[in-house]
Amino acid sequence: MLLENLKLEIDAIPRLEERDFVDLERDYLYYRITGKVLFLMLLSGVGASVSLFGKLYFGYWLYPILGILFLVFTVELIGFKYRGYAVRSKDVSFRSGWLYHRMTTVPLNRVQHCEFTQGPLGRLFDLATVKVFTAGGNSSDLDIRGLRKENAIKLRDHITTLSADYE
Amino acid sequence: MSKLDLIEPQRQAPLGVAIIFFKNLRRALNFVLAVIVVNLGTGFEVLGMGYSGWGIILSVFFLIYSFLQYRKFYFYVSGDNFVIEKGVLRQEKINVPFSRIQSVNTRQNIIQRLLNLVGLKVDTAGSIAQEIDIPALSKDYAEELRNYLMQKRYEFVEDETLEQEKVLKPLSGQKPLLSLSLSDLLKVGFTQNHLRSGLILFAIVNGYIWQFEEYLIKPFEPYLEETAKNLLTTWFLLLPFAVAAFLIISVLTSLVSTVLRYYGFSFYLTEEGLEMESGLFNRNSYNVPYEKIQYFRWESNPLRRIIGYRTLKVKQAGNQAINERKLIGIPGLKSRPLLKVIQKQYPDRKGTKYSYYQPHKLLFLQRLFWLGLLPSLVVSAILFTQNFLWYFYLPIAPFLILVAFLSYKYWRSIGLRVNANYVELRRGYVFPKRMVIPNYKLQNLSLSQSFLQGFRKLQSFHFHSAAGTISMAHLPDKASRELYDYLAYCIESSNAKWM
Repeated sequence: MLLENLKLEIDAIPRLEERDFVDLERDYLYYRITGKVLFLMLLSGVGASVSLFGKLYFGYWLYPILGILFLVFTVELIGFKYRGYAVRSKDVSFRSGWLYHRMTTVPLNRVQHCEFTQGPLGRLFDLATVKVFTAGGNSSDLDIRGLRKENAIKLRDHITTLSADYE
Repeated sequence: MSKLDLIEPQRQAPLGVAIIFFKNLRRALNFVLAVIVVNLGTGFEVLGMGYSGWGIILSVFFLIYSFLQYRKFYFYVSGDNFVIEKGVLRQEKINVPFSRIQSVNTRQNIIQRLLNLVGLKVDTAGSIAQEIDIPALSKDYAEELRNYLMQKRYEFVEDETLEQEKVLKPLSGQKPLLSLSLSDLLKVGFTQNHLRSGLILFAIVNGYIWQFEEYLIKPFEPYLEETAKNLLTTWFLLLPFAVAAFLIISVLTSLVSTVLRYYGFSFYLTEEGLEMESGLFNRNSYNVPYEKIQYFRWESNPLRRIIGYRTLKVKQAGNQAINERKLIGIPGLKSRPLLKVIQKQYPDRKGTKYSYYQPHKLLFLQRLFWLGLLPSLVVSAILFTQNFLWYFYLPIAPFLILVAFLSYKYWRSIGLRVNANYVELRRGYVFPKRMVIPNYKLQNLSLSQSFLQGFRKLQSFHFHSAAGTISMAHLPDKASRELYDYLAYCIESSNAKWM
């Protein structure tokens, strides 16, 4: 299984390691939970009004929503540990997910362009996303979420300047 | 080399008016067709004029409009750009830098063939809107313009890489690597995936029927309802005939579509890239420069395996929608020419040592569960609740055995091998295919791990290229991480241009 055929030693290849990854801002966890709680509150609002004006037993919507709330908290709290990004001299990586883990690495010499976005909830938490695009993808190939705004702008400029060197 | 005067804006061949006229007419017919169908049988009169009156007025209008379109269509060269200006009411100007040209293709539909004109299409790496289409040029002029543009493109590429002068050889003097005779074509058509062509035909016909549902079906509805009851009883009797009819129609569709599309197919392996010409009524020619090819995929099916034919698909850069349109297939390749093409594109494929990878047996188990066990359980449950007799359960056993066999074979057919230059993936037992991507043409990499894979320490590997993503499931943790770092290293240390 090992890469024994290659001319170079496997140890000579730089490895993407655990310590390369930087954790996201703690606020990003609260940001995610807030977003989901807001959505659940909207659902409960609908349920409550149906219960009040129609005749629907409260338990029919309340208990499922409480269950989902519990799930959201566990998944988000455990899943947060798995999120992180790594910026190395020649590539950027992002990983996320507890039940479905995913890690993506984009070499800087393949970056087409790079953008910075911030939504309304993100503005509230002072969090932003950096999106990295490569050729062929329909949407962005790498989203680095949960960065402070000034860090996100810095990271975007960093990626843009480094990737421009390869043109 | 060029006698072309492209500094001055040029118009198309004068007969181009006819081409543009027919193009407009066809577009209009699509629109008017609905009106005709709606008024089928009944008299049609608007403002005191019937079909013929309106037909003449519209034709004259389109003729004038087409003439204006022809007058307002210019192409020329300005600096390092090829420019097109067009538009009667809204002027449009498309600028294509020579360096952005992917390939220059010609096409001839039946009207263009009758008038001895050629349509020229300039493909760029960008979006559809940026593509240049010159519908009507005289044959010689189109050939000259094509050579001129390709020459410009190569000069541009070579400015950066090679100094040596390269002159393009005209295609006519070369010997094709592959040309398909009519009997070859019939073989290709006969060994197509008939189920697919049948279903496509069915979908098209179905789409047309429902488009005019109100006029085609509604009047018959009471009648249909009555016969539906009778149909149900004779359903079992009719089924074999329906299946036979479907099969015959499917095979015929495959044959006809293959002959129409690939009649007179010839395929060239030139210095600069792949070139091909084909078509019975619509004559098309394509070329793809080698460096624009992202990867090759070649595939077969059970019928084709018997006669040793394979299809080569050429994948070019672009997002999925554009790619589907651009995906170029070369059918009816025997091993020798196929190997020649592959050897040309991937010279280091043979002879070097590879690392081999196989998916974990979880893949077999999952397939067996989803395709075999779960459907069997559902069917058994239905049979049980409906109190069917025991012998209704009998077909389940051979079905399970078949699924297990196919799943096992599918699992064993998947293999990945990697060396310092290429990633090569094979998969499929019934429909075997292989793809080879040069390492430096990869755009980015990702690994994913589901909950189930987490237990078994497995990962799925996703190779993202500019022409789409290829995935390999259930690789061991350690091997996939190693491969990940290695491929990232390969991409990052390579200076080769991926396009």
